Amino acid sequence: MTSKIANLFTSAALALAIGSMAQAENVLNVASGGSQNMVDYVTDYLGPLFEEQNPGWEVNVVGTGPGNAGSQAILEKIKAQAGNETWDTDVVVMTQLKSGEMVTEGLLQKYVGDIETGKLATRDTSKSALGTDVEGYVMPMFHSQTAIAYNPDLVSNPPASFDELKTWTAENKGAFGYNGIKNGMSGVAFTAAWMYAYAGNTDQLMNGPYDPELKNSWDQALNDLKAFNENVTFTPGNAGTLDMMNRGEIVMGPVWVDMFYTWQADGRLNPNLKLLLPEPGMPGQPYYYAVPAKAENAEAARKFIALATSPEVQAEGIVKRFNWYPGIDAQHVESALDQETWNKLFTDVTPEDLAAKGKPFPLGPFFDDIREAYEQKVSN
Amino acid sequence: MTILRTTLTAVLLALLAFAIFGPITNMLIWSVAETWYFPAKLPQSYGFSFWERVFRPQGNAMESLWSSVLIALFTVLASLAVAIPAGLALGRGSLPWRTFFLLLFLLPQAFPSIAVHMNIARIFYGLGLNGTYGGVVLVHTIQGLVFSVWIATAAFAAVDHELEEAAANMGASPFTVFRTVTLPLALPGLMASAIFVFLISLDEFTGTYFVGVPDITTMPLLLFTASMEGNYQIASITALILLVPSVGFMLFIERFLKSDVLAKVGS
Amino acid sequence: MITRKASLFLIAPAIILLGCLFLYPLGYSLLWAFRDEEFGGWGLQNFAKAFALYSNDVLFTLIIVTLSTAIIGVLSVAIGGYLTLGENRVALVVLRWLYRWPLFIPFVVAAQLMRTFLAKNGMMNNIIVSTGLMEPLQAASYLDWRGIVITFVWKQTPFVALLVAGAMASLDRSTIEAARNLGASRLRILFEIVVPQVATTLMVGLILSYVVMMSVLSVPLMINAQTPTMITVDMAWRINAYSDYGVANALGFISYAMTAVIAWVYLRQGVREGGKPA
Repeated sequence: MTSKIANLFTSAALALAIGSMAQAENVLNVASGGSQNMVDYVTDYLGPLFEEQNPGWEVNVVGTGPGNAGSQAILEKIKAQAGNETWDTDVVVMTQLKSGEMVTEGLLQKYVGDIETGKLATRDTSKSALGTDVEGYVMPMFHSQTAIAYNPDLVSNPPASFDELKTWTAENKGAFGYNGIKNGMSGVAFTAAWMYAYAGNTDQLMNGPYDPELKNSWDQALNDLKAFNENVTFTPGNAGTLDMMNRGEIVMGPVWVDMFYTWQADGRLNPNLKLLLPEPGMPGQPYYYAVPAKAENAEAARKFIALATSPEVQAEGIVKRFNWYPGIDAQHVESALDQETWNKLFTDVTPEDLAAKGKPFPLGPFFDDIREAYEQKVSN
Repeated sequence: MTILRTTLTAVLLALLAFAIFGPITNMLIWSVAETWYFPAKLPQSYGFSFWERVFRPQGNAMESLWSSVLIALFTVLASLAVAIPAGLALGRGSLPWRTFFLLLFLLPQAFPSIAVHMNIARIFYGLGLNGTYGGVVLVHTIQGLVFSVWIATAAFAAVDHELEEAAANMGASPFTVFRTVTLPLALPGLMASAIFVFLISLDEFTGTYFVGVPDITTMPLLLFTASMEGNYQIASITALILLVPSVGFMLFIERFLKSDVLAKVGS
Repeated sequence: MITRKASLFLIAPAIILLGCLFLYPLGYSLLWAFRDEEFGGWGLQNFAKAFALYSNDVLFTLIIVTLSTAIIGVLSVAIGGYLTLGENRVALVVLRWLYRWPLFIPFVVAAQLMRTFLAKNGMMNNIIVSTGLMEPLQAASYLDWRGIVITFVWKQTPFVALLVAGAMASLDRSTIEAARNLGASRLRILFEIVVPQVATTLMVGLILSYVVMMSVLSVPLMINAQTPTMITVDMAWRINAYSDYGVANALGFISYAMTAVIAWVYLRQGVREGGKPA
């Protein structure tokens, strides 16, 4: 009996040793602070493509969950090994806020100038992350956008602006749902959009300069939001909003466009549901590819990102397979795609809408002020 | 009167069954639902395409499950290695500040782990333990320490002193007494503590992320992202896979966790 | 008998492991709670801010966890009591088989199950409505503080009930039989004879549950959509949104303090019993 158990453990230990030996050569470690579909994207599409083009390499991807929480986990892991010679993560995929923090703390390396695709991304967001200068450190993987999802069977005349939304929720109490600010970014995006609509100084909120006194002029907007909250249903998280739409408990709410499409594709949302961008617009953000300052395989990491941001991969992988807005400038991608796919991406939200009403998130310090003001004056 | 009482018992049991199996059934249905949205009360279509997605070769589900189980087994070994002596000291010995020591083992369960794990990771990087199986096993051992030590203590405390004394009187050395009398009598309790530790390790997430990733991935890591973002099919399937060993052990545990040991846990 | 020295020697490996790999990093966190990042000194600023912003949440956490612990206690005694004193054989077999199922389901899974089960149009309301016991319009969502309590109770009761039922089963049956022969009702036997004797076990089970519930993040995060919410959510929020470890650690400190109250109860109990093995 005991010898049997001993045998079992010996063979288990052997399996462990062999298992780690087989993994030993050339592994590119990718940490993705995004949702499951972003992890699947690397596992099923980008990883195998890279392995095919670079024999002897294996791509290993780990997902840490969506939103700033997922990116924070990556940041902490990198920081924890800051004292080491080399770091165990080669490519990171992160949100704007946390990428900015990592650049400020010197945890990322400049690489964009070294790769060919570096000049294909020229939007503001590839140079500045919520006011932090990140030029040279990041390449956008894709752009994501928040929008209002609604059920056209139950909402015949959807609100086209925040003013109309206010009236609509007053008439349909509890039918609009969002997740406050502590439970995920779609609620935060809605709050930011509210401030853009009602707090004034919209341009300054997005582009600076930062003025710590500005928050004193927000009382009216925040009180209105508090009153608005009386008529809405609160949802538990980004997924919680979609989840409540899945069960028909709410008929309208702010969502991430890519998550919305994934839920529809997976059969968890009625395919008839639609998206709209109300006046004056809602925030969106890119997810960035970046390379940690002491990444063990920095050379391969650059190759990987160059492949990931090439027009062909952006067209086939990002747009066609996963319904995301491309990270690099649209004109480079459009030429690599058939017209039908291109149009499908913009069924509900037209490119014109996106250009006019797709906003960035507020400047970092303003963003902090907005969230703290919400905690103090709206949810308290 | 008896009929009334029987009916009442039956109704209460039915309610309990509903409360316990309702949520679990919900999960079973989600794991085979392909489309399910309002206003349908049950899925509009069923299928196994999400199972295929979880078990696709690139998805590493089997590899993760395998390393989860291996880590759990080694965590059990490590836990027993420290919990048996500690349990002896706490259950049989004459330890000063005994209650204080017992409480000390409660600490890792008591502190919200979000704030501590980065510091733990920093120390593990310093020791070169990050990304190794040993490191993950150690983190899991600490998380399960309160269960392994408290149950082991109870197991040793429940062993009849007189049997040990009888053996000692017949001239057996202390170690022989331990090996031939105390340990076999405490074994069911120790098995129970091993089962608790195995399952805690199987479900552990944060520690594995900070210490294991990227070299080691376990099943809960796959589950956590899917669950947090509402990918109910994937999360349900992963949970179901994790549930198999759990339920197996649960049905099994009664054989090891004898009532006289249970009576002494944590005291 | 193991000597004092030998006892200390035996417990040393476990304590060293705990000290190096948990207490040491924990010390960092607790220290950081007193660090003032803005002015670079030490002080109580983080606590002041934590209280200003989250005092409601601290209270909420305390109420939720205490309430859950109380319900768990009542249910475990009920289950254990029936298993010990029940007479209906069928019911005993069914109950024994039934109550332990949630024992080993991880919190994140439990939270996910409950999120889809307890919602307004979730499975629970759907079933109740389709049995005709409730009108569809009466269906309400339980995804607030009630949802957290329900999930905690669902997940933790089997654990405490397992301990309590075990302790009850090992009691000496003769006093119970004697009381029954004297015509005492089962309820009276339960509360006057059985429960006092298993009080320590019950308390240990409840302390373990209290402590575990205090530090769970996924349940309040996935179930509670309202404010106030639990401390763990605020901690995650301070770190993720503001990278503010100071206030997060201050909140952790407060949560530890709330646990310490429970530890104190335990210690008192230990002292009363003379610190000897029970």
